[in-house]
Amino acid sequence: MSQIQARFFTEDKRYVVDDVPFSIPAASEVQDLSNVINKLLEAKNASHSKVDFDFLVRGQFLRTSLSTHMATEGISTVWPAIVLKLVWIYCIKILTGSYDKTARIWSTEGKPAMTVAGHTDVVKDVAWVKREGLTSLLLTASLDQTVLLWEWNSERNKVKARHCCRGHAGSVDTISVDPTGTKFCSGSWDKMLKIWSAVPTDEQDEIEEPADRPRKKQKTQQLGLTRTPLMTLSGHSEAVSSVLWCDSEEVCSASWDHTIRIWDVDTGGMKTTLTGSKVFNCISYSPLCRRLASGSTDRHIRLWDPRTKDGSLVLLSLTSHTGWVTAVKWAPSHAHQLVSGSLDNLVKLWDTRSCKAPLYDLAAHEDKVFCVDWTESGLMLSGGADNKLYTYRYSAQQAEA
Amino acid sequence: MRGETSSSNLKKSRRFSLQAPLTTITWMTENLHRHTVTERALQQIFNFNRKPADEDKDDDLSDSEDSVYSGLEDSGSDSEEEEGSDEEEGSDDDDDKMKEKKEGEVSEEKKKDEYEHDSSDEEDIRNTVGNIPMEWYKDFPHIGYNLDGKKIYKPIRNKDELDDFLDKMENPEYWRTVHDKQTGSDIVLSDDQVELVNRLQRGQFGDVNFNEYEPMVEFFSSDVMIHPVTNRPADKRSFIPSLTEKEKVSKLVHAIKMGWIKPRRVEDDGRGRYYNLWASEDSSILARHKMHLPAPKIPLPGHHESYNPPPEYLFTDEERALWEQQDPADRKLPFVPRKYSSLRQVPAFSQFIHERFERCLDLYLCPRQRKMRVNVNPEDLIPQLPKPKDLQPFPTTRSLVYRGHSGLVRSISVSPSGQWLASGSDDGSVRFWEVCSSRCMKTVQVGGAVKSVAWNPNPSVCLLAVALDSVVLILSPSLADKQVILSSERLLSAQQEGEEPAEGNGSVVWSEAEGEELNQGLRLKIQHPKAVHQVVWHAKGDYLASVMPDNTSHLQVYIHQLSRRRSQNPFSRNKGLVQCVSFHPIRPYFFVATQRSIRIYNLVKQEMTKKLQTNSKWISSMAVHPGGDHVICGSYDCKLSWFDLDLSTKPYKMLRHHKKAVRGVAYHRLYPLFASASDDGSVIVCHGTVYNDLLQNPLIVPVKVLRGHVMTHDLGVLDVTFHPTQPWVFSSGADATICLFT
Repeated sequence: MSQIQARFFTEDKRYVVDDVPFSIPAASEVQDLSNVINKLLEAKNASHSKVDFDFLVRGQFLRTSLSTHMATEGISTVWPAIVLKLVWIYCIKILTGSYDKTARIWSTEGKPAMTVAGHTDVVKDVAWVKREGLTSLLLTASLDQTVLLWEWNSERNKVKARHCCRGHAGSVDTISVDPTGTKFCSGSWDKMLKIWSAVPTDEQDEIEEPADRPRKKQKTQQLGLTRTPLMTLSGHSEAVSSVLWCDSEEVCSASWDHTIRIWDVDTGGMKTTLTGSKVFNCISYSPLCRRLASGSTDRHIRLWDPRTKDGSLVLLSLTSHTGWVTAVKWAPSHAHQLVSGSLDNLVKLWDTRSCKAPLYDLAAHEDKVFCVDWTESGLMLSGGADNKLYTYRYSAQQAEA
Repeated sequence: MRGETSSSNLKKSRRFSLQAPLTTITWMTENLHRHTVTERALQQIFNFNRKPADEDKDDDLSDSEDSVYSGLEDSGSDSEEEEGSDEEEGSDDDDDKMKEKKEGEVSEEKKKDEYEHDSSDEEDIRNTVGNIPMEWYKDFPHIGYNLDGKKIYKPIRNKDELDDFLDKMENPEYWRTVHDKQTGSDIVLSDDQVELVNRLQRGQFGDVNFNEYEPMVEFFSSDVMIHPVTNRPADKRSFIPSLTEKEKVSKLVHAIKMGWIKPRRVEDDGRGRYYNLWASEDSSILARHKMHLPAPKIPLPGHHESYNPPPEYLFTDEERALWEQQDPADRKLPFVPRKYSSLRQVPAFSQFIHERFERCLDLYLCPRQRKMRVNVNPEDLIPQLPKPKDLQPFPTTRSLVYRGHSGLVRSISVSPSGQWLASGSDDGSVRFWEVCSSRCMKTVQVGGAVKSVAWNPNPSVCLLAVALDSVVLILSPSLADKQVILSSERLLSAQQEGEEPAEGNGSVVWSEAEGEELNQGLRLKIQHPKAVHQVVWHAKGDYLASVMPDNTSHLQVYIHQLSRRRSQNPFSRNKGLVQCVSFHPIRPYFFVATQRSIRIYNLVKQEMTKKLQTNSKWISSMAVHPGGDHVICGSYDCKLSWFDLDLSTKPYKMLRHHKKAVRGVAYHRLYPLFASASDDGSVIVCHGTVYNDLLQNPLIVPVKVLRGHVMTHDLGVLDVTFHPTQPWVFSSGADATICLFT
């Protein structure tokens, strides 16, 4: 099988080649195929500058020579299609929380725009609620068992604590804002999930005030109005490590008790339980492909289908990390890509279509990676124990202190 | 057929009757027809032999003899008839008177005779007296009996010597006349008979035609022939089963089936043909016979014994000197190998008598006991343990390293919630770590090498006990819910309002922390008279035991009550150097490990309930199963012993997997796991399932060796503890790090 008939498709109008079969040597690799396409394009358009392409063969990335790929995948005929490397564009501000008890707002160029200080203990998680013009709302969750709702005016660069959400009896490890931006959910070490309103008001929720009135009062004065949870979801037998909203009525939580639970926010009941064998560190849900990705205290990233009825079915596991997977995140605009961070100091970009190896290893951190995220425009972010936040474009990397 | 012969005989007899009384002649002829040639030949010889003796007597033959002879001649050259008729003569001659009488009977007699001798091939049996000396009938008128039992009378001998002589002279046939003694008749031999006699006398074959010198056909020679002797092809019937045989067999089978034929009857021994000679013997004697022991075998001779051994078997001077020095009993060889150029030069063996004597002694003194050798596959002796893979979860890999200490970390403890880890180090600090991120949340300088830390197991309080030098500190790390922190503060200050700490026995002083120390989280100081090595909490979190190892005093263990700030020494006597203590998780028992044994005290009854013998030289650590019925104990001589308290005071199992001293042991609170830490830098995790069924022993399977610590000053891992809820194990090492294995 020295020659293969292949047809090339692309969705990018700029790089369309004629829809006719080409005869390609079977030993050719990605680079050779890319050259072929470039030649074709040059023939059509003299002003074409060379571009590196990637190829998908029946939904799988081509990583080896065509012949070996076909042998491993058991394909007899190949119709490669072009995939373009898109260059991600500009994004907005980045919010981080850290062990120095503060949250910070950064620009993507790596300049700190604002420091949000107010917690008495480590900030465990942060989230944007919404932006309206120059003011935006943000949330910080902390080990001091509170979640603070802040209002940030980017013009004046002022931040003001609007609400202090009290109710958890353990450190609040994770928060997640619902798609509409009106509610958020928090998960805590005290095994509870709580749903809160994210709408800032000027009224303080009534709280049953026990003893120590003066101290409490002092705090509320400092940190804005106290807010109580709308709903408490209990069921986990261990600490909740990660929560997220699947859609506007569904909350998904991962816990140290080896389960992922999906809750109905309307009724407050549990809908599904997915049971794993290890502690879950993090989960992520992609509405594009409707898959849950989970990172646990072993080296695998597992993909779940939360809608399966026949128990907890692991669809796929992505194995390349050598330490605990501490963070996973699906790309917001891509159905197949996710990024993961691990205790082995690596951030990896995965494509579920090539599950055997990651697309890229992003080795920038010098210590454990604790969080990863995407910006809405597709910039990847990662933060680690080396006190650094890195942002990545798809191909180039840039580091920011 | 019979009728024909009889009628022809009748004709004959009629014809003969004219000449002589021939009653029996025809009978004889009939008879003789059936004689075979050989028989006849013998008969002839027989008769011939007798003849010469009677020759004289035959001289006086009656007239009838002529007729007889004529009769014979009449019958022609047929020798058979001739002979028969010869023999007839005598009987006919016997009695003239009877002749007429008999004539009438002839026909009848003939028939009878013919009938009687139909199938007979015997010799002449006209006279039934047999082969006896005929002299016996000398005095009787008869010479025997015929077949009818009637007397055969002697022929009337009227010949005298003269007649005989005359007969000799005149009768040309005299020479060939023989006398038959048995019948008393004379017989004249024919030419053929005479010829036969002559031939036999010459030593020739009786048959003239027989050629005794026929050329020999050598069918069987020494030569190997290509072709078979006969060229005849094998019959078809030799290839097909015989039908007749089949028929016979089927008949037999049928008969056996029907029960007509009994298949060979087994000879029953009921009549006592054979009997057991030793049946009545005593069974003990027989048993002794069964236990026969063969004599020990003499070892086979080796090269040493050779008269010309290879040079390596010959003794060197040193070996010879050694051999001579050694006691004869210790010598490897009883002789010195020597080399001779030939077997002839080998002298007599000087030790022969001695060696025989030794052999006799061996035989005489050999142990008369049979060693029962059991053939067991060594594989079968290994207990069937489940595979470690089936016993998951258990920690397998090092996931996190907690770095920050600068001295060796002696002791670690995990908070009951599993969120925090406290560690005490020789660098004089106690550090608090977040388990999941390995971040050091807090460092408390306590000003001395920390020997032991213990987190209060009560989840509603958040306190840490720290032992350093001769002080036990109570820390409130404030790493918990506000309510919890409040309640622990309340517990500590409860006594404050009441009376001042009752200094029950003076030696222990309770004091409050102040100023800077208070900000660090220190709350209480309990001053002991001696250096404290270990602190341990009761499961309820109010009582605290501290150990001050001291061989000379009985003040080695104190039990402190936190809420009342009281201390007491439960033991009034020194039972040995106390290594470590532990509370029973449920019942009011107190475990005290001294150097070699573990004593279990009932705190309510204030008495010792059990003493466990560890069989180890120096106990280093001890852990009590969360169920309370099992104890593991590590020792400095590399052993880990598991005690089943319900089973015995001896170890149920000894695990010797470590290469060096075991420093710490721990049970998991929920999972069936236990771990041991050793100076060889490894932590061994074992699976230990405990069954509720009292009959089933615990299942102990070593599942994993965890390595991660660097050996520092010959010390490896110093302490090991499990996470309260996850199957994770923490280990602290002499390399100033703490590892988490998951």
